Amino acid sequence: MLLQLSGIWKEYQIDEQVVFTALKDINLTIDEGEFTAIVGPSGSGKSTLMHLIGLLDHPSRGKIKIRNKDITILNDDEISTLRSEFVGFVFQSFNLINKLTVLENILIPTIYARKKLDYNPEEKAKYLIERFGLQGKENSYPNKISGGQQQRVAMARALIMDPKLILADEPTGNLDTKSGNEIMKLLKELNKTDRRTIVIVTHEADIATQTNRLIKMVDGQIVKI
Amino acid sequence: MNYFLFIIKSAAFDFSRNKGRTFLTSLGILIGVLSVVLLTAFGLGLKKYIADQFESLGTNLLRVLPGQPLRSGGFSGGPSSFGTIHFEEKDVVKLSRLRSLEVVVPVYYKSMDVVAGKNTEFATVYMTNSDVFKAINLNTEYGAPFTKQDVEKRSKVVVIGPKIAENLFADQKAAVDRSLKIEGQTFKVLGVLGAKGGGFGGPDLDSFIYMPYKTGYIFNTDKQFIILILKVKSDQSIETAKTEANDILLKRFKKDDFSIVEQGEILSAINSIFAVLNTVLIAIAAISLVVGGIGIMNIMYVTVTERIKEIGIRRALGARKKDILYQFLVESVILSLLGGLMGLLLAALIILFVQRFFPAYIDLQSIMLALGVSSAIGVIFGVFPAKKAADLAPIEAIRYE
Repeated sequence: MLLQLSGIWKEYQIDEQVVFTALKDINLTIDEGEFTAIVGPSGSGKSTLMHLIGLLDHPSRGKIKIRNKDITILNDDEISTLRSEFVGFVFQSFNLINKLTVLENILIPTIYARKKLDYNPEEKAKYLIERFGLQGKENSYPNKISGGQQQRVAMARALIMDPKLILADEPTGNLDTKSGNEIMKLLKELNKTDRRTIVIVTHEADIATQTNRLIKMVDGQIVKI
Repeated sequence: MNYFLFIIKSAAFDFSRNKGRTFLTSLGILIGVLSVVLLTAFGLGLKKYIADQFESLGTNLLRVLPGQPLRSGGFSGGPSSFGTIHFEEKDVVKLSRLRSLEVVVPVYYKSMDVVAGKNTEFATVYMTNSDVFKAINLNTEYGAPFTKQDVEKRSKVVVIGPKIAENLFADQKAAVDRSLKIEGQTFKVLGVLGAKGGGFGGPDLDSFIYMPYKTGYIFNTDKQFIILILKVKSDQSIETAKTEANDILLKRFKKDDFSIVEQGEILSAINSIFAVLNTVLIAIAAISLVVGGIGIMNIMYVTVTERIKEIGIRRALGARKKDILYQFLVESVILSLLGGLMGLLLAALIILFVQRFFPAYIDLQSIMLALGVSSAIGVIFGVFPAKKAADLAPIEAIRYE
């Protein structure tokens, strides 16, 4: 078991009287090596769930355990460290930093790394650049390359710290079908050959069917696992 | 890639993308540092200038003054504290017997109209003996100084400063052997002195007229002196000479009626006045540094708001709060330091130019201070915006559009 959510609630205080409940009593276990899709209409809470899994947000109630360790009691620095080492993010809008080159973007997580890396980050970045077909773009700036290329840079960035878990939030949402398919192919490959655990949030049924496990959400609740 | 190198590169990119904004923001610090460094440099220059002037007026000098004008290190009470006593020739004679003294120079001075042909100048006439030239380093450029005999014979001769020579006779050299009139009396110009400089608020030494004191009794009917200048034989015997002269004068005057001051005491009294003035000016200039700091704080808040998304991305990729804090602090320090460096550079250029006329200079201390203060301003005024950036919730930041 890689990740376990038990009795997770996420509530937002809209004003004094109104409380919006984004997640209701979520219980979910994700095992190592899984390739999971979280699907659901917009507003179903799937993004909120992903933010909780990605340690970007914390639940109002409930426990999140990573490898049997309760992380809801950790402080901000410890959470940041865990985020740096445990999760790799791929976002819908790529979220690259435009003032840094492709290579520098890929290296950002290593700048903030607290653990000693047992590999040379630059060499690893170059390997990932080659693996994802980005040769020659190392010193380009993100706004000078195509969307598909940008998303592959984001994937290289997500992998540079060698995380157990890759979280992809609508990874194909901003891409044309061809680029989207390429990204999906890479994600599948990462799951199959690298044995990485992958969670995709998507509203595209077509994408969801390519995964091994489907989690369907409606109104902040999991309706089908 | 090194952590700080990475942060600095990222800051440099933002600065180069907003060149105009970066420059305008550092301008406040630039002006602050420029004015503080310039004022410090001028203060140092003034101190050096005064010291040089004193040096050129002779060394190992003691001045006997009426009253206690220099009590407790500053001019206390203003001109009125100059007492009413006067020195007489017998004091000069008694003091001259002291072994420790080389010469004793009595001085009476009066400002009067001096006429040569059609030209009239209002000038200070120093009535003194022939030792004055040796005591305060006066050398004649043209002609010769007056002698002991001129004093004894009450010769109607004068030695004049180069500036007044030019004003009265159009040419320094031509002034020798010409005559001038002071209050209806005619005097022959024996010599013209070399230039000493002066002005800048102090006495204009080059416009003085020197006259044998006995001749001067025409204007000084009470035969009294205002100041006695004592030149001591060597600097080791200054204290001895001071005590001995004091003992002699105490026989005739009360303790508080006169004072014997060293050149150095006068120098430090003048310096302390200028130091206070300079400090006040620098303090006023330092206000502009605070204003500059506020400008930096303002722009850092704008920068943080513009880059909320970037902060969110960095947090998602593992940056801790303090990583974000450092990033923005480094940026504000660079911004402030940039202004400080430019201010320092501009100040150096101005001082380099000014040095042709005035011995102003920038010392290492003010360089360190300028850079230290501008870094400190960067930290102080950068910490609040940086804290704001660091405290953003990662999820809010990354969702921000």
